[in-house]
Amino acid sequence: MLMPKKVKYRKSQRGRMRGKASRGASLSFGEYGLQALEPCWLTARQLEAGRITITRHMKRRGKLWVRAFPWKPVTKKPTEVRMGKGKGDPEFWVDVIRPGRVIYELEGVPEGVAKEAMRLAAHKLPIKTRFISREGRELR
Amino acid sequence: MGLTIKAEKREAFGKNASRRLRKQGLVPAILYGEGRVGVPLILGKKDVFMILKSESGENTIFKVAFDSKTQDAMIKELQTDSSTDEILHVDLIQISMDKAIRVEVPFLLQGEPIGVKTEGGFVDFMTREVEIECLPRDIPEQIKVDISQLHLHQFLKIADIRPPEGVKFISDPAAVIVLISVPHAEEVAAKPAEEAEVVAEPKEPEVIKKERAEEQKEEE
Repeated sequence: MLMPKKVKYRKSQRGRMRGKASRGASLSFGEYGLQALEPCWLTARQLEAGRITITRHMKRRGKLWVRAFPWKPVTKKPTEVRMGKGKGDPEFWVDVIRPGRVIYELEGVPEGVAKEAMRLAAHKLPIKTRFISREGRELR
Repeated sequence: MGLTIKAEKREAFGKNASRRLRKQGLVPAILYGEGRVGVPLILGKKDVFMILKSESGENTIFKVAFDSKTQDAMIKELQTDSSTDEILHVDLIQISMDKAIRVEVPFLLQGEPIGVKTEGGFVDFMTREVEIECLPRDIPEQIKVDISQLHLHQFLKIADIRPPEGVKFISDPAAVIVLISVPHAEEVAAKPAEEAEVVAEPKEPEVIKKERAEEQKEEE
């Protein structure tokens, strides 16, 4: 599972997920991508599940970029513990996703394969997403 | 070249005024360049689409008419909403037809490489645009790159491409445009190793601050 190798602080505050993505919001590497349309905390497990789905569907073709990284620790108190006595221990890692963020990018596969791979991966994610491509971008 | 777009001077600023404009099918814009102070403008969204859909796309040179003046201009930057692809703002740059300008032009790949046809590779298109310097009338729509002779693991750099007449490449000549890569090994082979990694992985990453504190103690 993805997580940072080194951190400056073990625990982080929750923060907010307001606004839209300003960075990481366009295709930078591949021809096709999966873009988030809602904000969420994307966990390392969800990200990994999506990655595995895409690589399995692509078989031995193309190249995949994972543009999200779970850098934020989420803490949890153990069960049946009374409130207080400080913040819990880090339990899992998430990336804060805002609408517009490109999560995966693909290259070297036909559009149909990319679309299906992204559709399957989207089922592993907790948010609405859309398939984007360089050719098919239509400004409104 | 013959394209002329009507614009109005913009008097109201800020996000409220800009939102009102966008609701009416207009786009806030600004015109600058050639050492003059920026002029805030209002453009019609349809006009912006017309420019973008023309053959040269964002690099189209057109005339902007406002205040009984007409000036040569081109799109410098487009601000769009990241999730809805709505145009939010347009930066126009005033150009003079006898001065060289720098623009980005896309590469157009031609032909199917041998490495893809017979050797099982795929085309990794690494650099999609190149920065060029030329006179406004010499701006090419695309730069064609023939990749049909490339074998597996072979690549083309910007230095390998001859620029069209009157055009100078500004981007790093060592930048790779296209590489014929081998796809990654299948997931199945990698899985057992991955599982082993997960087991061996420490649950928590190192804390940088702690290390420093320990080092300081040692120094003392």
